[in-house]
Amino acid sequence: MDEITGVPAATRHAISVIVNGAPRAATVDARLSLLDCLREAWGLTGTHAGCEHGACGACTVLLDDAPVRSCLLLAVQADGARVTTIEGLAAGDELHPVQQGFWACHGLQCGFCTPGMVLTAVDLLARVRDPSEAEIREALAGNLCMCTGYENIVRAVRWAAARVAWART
Amino acid sequence: MRGHATPAGWVGRPLKRLEDPRFLRGRATYIDDLTFPGMLHVAMLRSPHAHARVVRLDASAAAALPGVAAALTGEDVARVMPPLSPLIPIPNPPRTYPLAVGRVRYVGEPIAAVAACDRATAEDAVELIRAEYEPLPAVVDPERALAPDAPVLFDEMGSNVLWHDTLTYGDVDGAFTAARTVVRERFTIHRYVSTALETFGVIAHVEPGTGLVTIWSNDQRPGLTSGVVAAALGVPQNRLRLLALDIGGGFGNKRKAPYLIVAALLARATGRPVKYVEDRRENLVALAHAANGVMEAALALDGDGRFLAIALRDVVDEGCNLQNPTLHSLLKLGNIVNCYRIGAVRFEAYSVLTNKCPSGANRGIGKPAMCFAIERLVDLAARRLGRDPAELRFANLVQPSEFPYETPVGASYDSGDFPGTLRRALALADYEGLRAAQAAARREGRLVGIGIAVAVEPSSSNLSSYMLATGKGGTSGVGEAALVRVELDGSVRVATGNVASGQGYPTVIAQIVADELGVTPPDVAVSPWFDSHENPWMFSSGNFSNKFSGTDAGAIVGAARAVREKILAIAAHVLEAAPGDLELRDGAVGVRGVPGRFVTLAQVAGVAYRDLLALPPGAAGGLEARYYYVNPAATRPDGARRVGVQLTFSNSAHVTALEVDRATGAVRFLTYAIAHDCGREINPLLVEGMVHGSTAHGIGATLLEEFVYDGEGQLLTTTFMDYLKPTALDVPAFRVEALETPSPRTALGAKGVGEGGAIPSLAAIANAVEDALAPLGVTIRHLPLTPARIWEAIRGA
Repeated sequence: MDEITGVPAATRHAISVIVNGAPRAATVDARLSLLDCLREAWGLTGTHAGCEHGACGACTVLLDDAPVRSCLLLAVQADGARVTTIEGLAAGDELHPVQQGFWACHGLQCGFCTPGMVLTAVDLLARVRDPSEAEIREALAGNLCMCTGYENIVRAVRWAAARVAWART
Repeated sequence: MRGHATPAGWVGRPLKRLEDPRFLRGRATYIDDLTFPGMLHVAMLRSPHAHARVVRLDASAAAALPGVAAALTGEDVARVMPPLSPLIPIPNPPRTYPLAVGRVRYVGEPIAAVAACDRATAEDAVELIRAEYEPLPAVVDPERALAPDAPVLFDEMGSNVLWHDTLTYGDVDGAFTAARTVVRERFTIHRYVSTALETFGVIAHVEPGTGLVTIWSNDQRPGLTSGVVAAALGVPQNRLRLLALDIGGGFGNKRKAPYLIVAALLARATGRPVKYVEDRRENLVALAHAANGVMEAALALDGDGRFLAIALRDVVDEGCNLQNPTLHSLLKLGNIVNCYRIGAVRFEAYSVLTNKCPSGANRGIGKPAMCFAIERLVDLAARRLGRDPAELRFANLVQPSEFPYETPVGASYDSGDFPGTLRRALALADYEGLRAAQAAARREGRLVGIGIAVAVEPSSSNLSSYMLATGKGGTSGVGEAALVRVELDGSVRVATGNVASGQGYPTVIAQIVADELGVTPPDVAVSPWFDSHENPWMFSSGNFSNKFSGTDAGAIVGAARAVREKILAIAAHVLEAAPGDLELRDGAVGVRGVPGRFVTLAQVAGVAYRDLLALPPGAAGGLEARYYYVNPAATRPDGARRVGVQLTFSNSAHVTALEVDRATGAVRFLTYAIAHDCGREINPLLVEGMVHGSTAHGIGATLLEEFVYDGEGQLLTTTFMDYLKPTALDVPAFRVEALETPSPRTALGAKGVGEGGAIPSLAAIANAVEDALAPLGVTIRHLPLTPARIWEAIRGA
């Protein structure tokens, strides 16, 4: 038994994950979610717990470039993978175009859904160069926002799409 | 967006938010992001029964689990604190505590709490608590709760009625007798809540030497909560430091003093910092629900279709809410006549206990239901009289020349152009075109409907109105406090008693202060967080009833102008000029018309804080001011029990068209147009964002969201998989247009906008669905209008 956690030591596992380009290691309980590992073991509190049953999308991160719900994934499942969180998106002082779009279009109010929304939009724009409004709404439909009514988020993604498309030409 | 004058200063500009980068980078600090060395984590045991006696509760096995530092039961809590005080004076008031003692009264009611080294261990420990219950009959329906033989929640009360009163204004009986037409309907209002994406949370720490209790939380009413928590803990308020960090949405329901108390008691018991953050199920089951209820409403009309009187019997289901009931009743007095000239009002109010989650404030509090009832009645009257629903509304709206317009209940509408707002919304939606398209669709057998709702959107609650229910004084008016300080280097800092949860206060406050002090918004650092030992505050401090425009703006302007006077006095002395000849511009004070004769704000601050002998003779040093603003429009109830429940009145008109799928009952929006008027807009970009967001709340409440209890009081919708929130696919693109009729009652002419679309949208959508189903003769009496419910209505027609 581990004196600190009260959990049998045998259920703890060593993992290593490339998080935002840098290697991270931790020894975690088998039952620890990737979300809690990011937040508690590695101090990356930009990823948020909204529902912890996979319905709201607030905890979305990119796992090997694909969006996942970090509340439904165990940390041990991410062993050896690459994870991108909201903290890893900006290039130094330069916000990612999707982050810029959210700022320019007032695509956030309380900000709690924003990291998951932004990463979901980043994934969309990686797959679809110039998404229509319907495609954007479809892509964002797994992420709940309680503040904006989504309209300015859709505008933000379109704003970013124009920038990303321009940058690629 | 139209209607905005080109602003001379920063106020009025659609400035993007200064605070956004840290949110966009994942560097905000929400309550759950904060950790301390040695911090413990709390899990709670909650009642699985709606009503039961607790015959055995043994937490010893939980307390013995390795990693567990403390376990508290309701009886433990009752030994160390006085009972919570109810807001409403009740004969033989029940003694209730943050954890249930001896009896549980709703599913999810906490009865024990465990603090452990991590949340998972705390959850493990909760499973080891031995609890045995003897179930009691539960009362779930509020009208059943009124029956003499109904199970009673609190035996000492003798009934479930918290408040029952009939308020009559004007000759209601005469109006109904004289009426040519009376429309009467019974509406049931369902339970829903805005569900901020961040759940409620708290961290408490008790400093062992001084006994200072420090509590971080996302409670949105710190001014109110501070006193409740201090009384429970038996500490004076100067030994309770209450802090709020970034708040991930509030919408009224983010208040739960009992959780703060439990965390503080555990911190006191263990000597360690203690964190409790709700999980989503706890949030949905036990934080707070907008009250459900039954509204029996009648509208009297004369032969010309003019509205004469409204009568309402309103049964509000408070659940197990002793602490702050009657909110959903009293606030209906703010919009009981809505935008209309109606000379007489009867309001029979019941506030009733049931074995359900306690009711609580939620975006609009009672006003969405009130607007729903009256706007449904207006549509029913239009249909009965064969008149166009827009035209019947125009015939009854308060006219722009009538402001200030006093309603029979004592609400004083400050400003607006109700016909103009409705005209704009109809034009924006192309009402004529929609009617033509609807006629064509009907010929094809399609179910297309158009819905209209107009609304006053009352804001800034006058706390004197509670006297109607409590019969006692001691709390009245409404205000807010602000501090403006120019630092020694000339930079500007602002703090208020309010807490931000997405409204953009750091930006709009900076805009306001920049104008007053002649600097730019980025020069103004607005404290993003609340600290009861640093920020000025008063009882009404906090985030509720869209009060920013009606109170906070006044406090900020008041403090900024006081600082401005000090700046001018010092600068006049230094420049040897008359204060009246000076102007503040570009971070400096200069002599008007004399370029080059100026001192910078930093130089003025240098005199105020450092070069003290350079101050004007007799002047005090320092360059800061605190201002405690009281909205001047608030009064106490008069002898006829008339009172302005709220103080400023924004207004809007929503026009929507939608199609109902005959086969599935699903609703698809064709258009959604909103014209709104919240007075002078401090930041139109942020205002429009709130218009979108508040309307989306109404869409969710109308079409999707419902807390469904079964007959035994079990809550059946306890996750976001069955309590459905609107997604980006459920919310349409909005067409929004703004009018700006400045309020004469607020510091900047601005009026509340936060509740906004959450008030009229329920009515607009319901009216549209009923219009779509008009060929089938369906009347909408219940929400939400889920596909299943609409499908049943179609089949039943």
